[in-house]
Amino acid sequence: MSESWYGWLLVAGASLVVFFTRAVFILPGARLRLPPAAEKILRYAPAAALMAIVVPDTAMVHGAWVVSLYNPRFVGGLAAFAIAAATRSVTLTIVGGMAALTLVRLFLA
Amino acid sequence: MLREGILGATSLLLGMIPFGIVAGVAMVSAGLTHGQAVAMGILVFAGSAQLAVVPLLVAKAPLWVMYATALVVNLRYVIYSAVLAPYFGHLSRLWRALLAYITVDGMFALFIGRFAVDERRSDRHWYYFGGSLLLWLGWQVSSWIGIFVGALIPKAWMLEFASTVSLIGILMPLFYDRAVVAGALAAGAVALAAAKWPLNLGLLAAVAAGVAVGLAASRLGATRNAQKGAA
Repeated sequence: MSESWYGWLLVAGASLVVFFTRAVFILPGARLRLPPAAEKILRYAPAAALMAIVVPDTAMVHGAWVVSLYNPRFVGGLAAFAIAAATRSVTLTIVGGMAALTLVRLFLA
Repeated sequence: MLREGILGATSLLLGMIPFGIVAGVAMVSAGLTHGQAVAMGILVFAGSAQLAVVPLLVAKAPLWVMYATALVVNLRYVIYSAVLAPYFGHLSRLWRALLAYITVDGMFALFIGRFAVDERRSDRHWYYFGGSLLLWLGWQVSSWIGIFVGALIPKAWMLEFASTVSLIGILMPLFYDRAVVAGALAAGAVALAAAKWPLNLGLLAAVAAGVAVGLAASRLGATRNAQKGAA
């Protein structure tokens, strides 16, 4: 693969960044405390980031909004949200969301 | 303690397997080589961060945007790290590095639910290590299944969307109050509006907007509660 360095730099950088988040308080071992302001930001950022990834993946096709029952991703994403809210199970969410996507892909799209 | 930890984590293992397979498929279909995908599962070992960078990889986003995304998605680990630090403070540096590296959401929840911080047990890290090790192995093996078998699956099946639906599954438990939901909705809206921004910067703008709206919503909620209390 010609752009193999790109993949390796991604792996190397992401592993350092992720290890940092896990080790930042455990590794120093001293009595470090999380400032309350930081705690508030940490509360909202992960859900915001995941939502910012998931919404365009679901509602956009090639950069244009396709909010339609004929868009397999849109239906699959909606089904996944409903199942996740009802069951809180990642496994059922994957199975149900992909099943809805497949039904639309085979019979509507 | 090691055995108890392993047994305790078996219930978490079942939920992890399909997620690992999906991550394996997604990494390879986004263009990583088999070696890179295997290395990512071992070195990064964080399903949500791995899946979050995959769409960015497809879009050929700059590396620093992908690093920033992995960081933001994994900020919850900073909280886990702060909570776990007093449990492991008496251990050697090598042990602390190992336990930090191997931390995942499910085992964190199981562990702090089972042991109180002030409970004097010097062997509880074996419980944590045992359970985490089982989940680590489960993650690697299920990723390999996705990496090496996933290539046989036809593209028309749109299996890469499985990474999006699994992120939806991870997202839901993070919605612990209305302010978080408000912030996430704002982030989703900004992400749609800013999807065409260069360098995938729309994603980072969406996160900033989400945090701002979340903070504002929580302040509004607190004021309202205070007024109710006064009346």
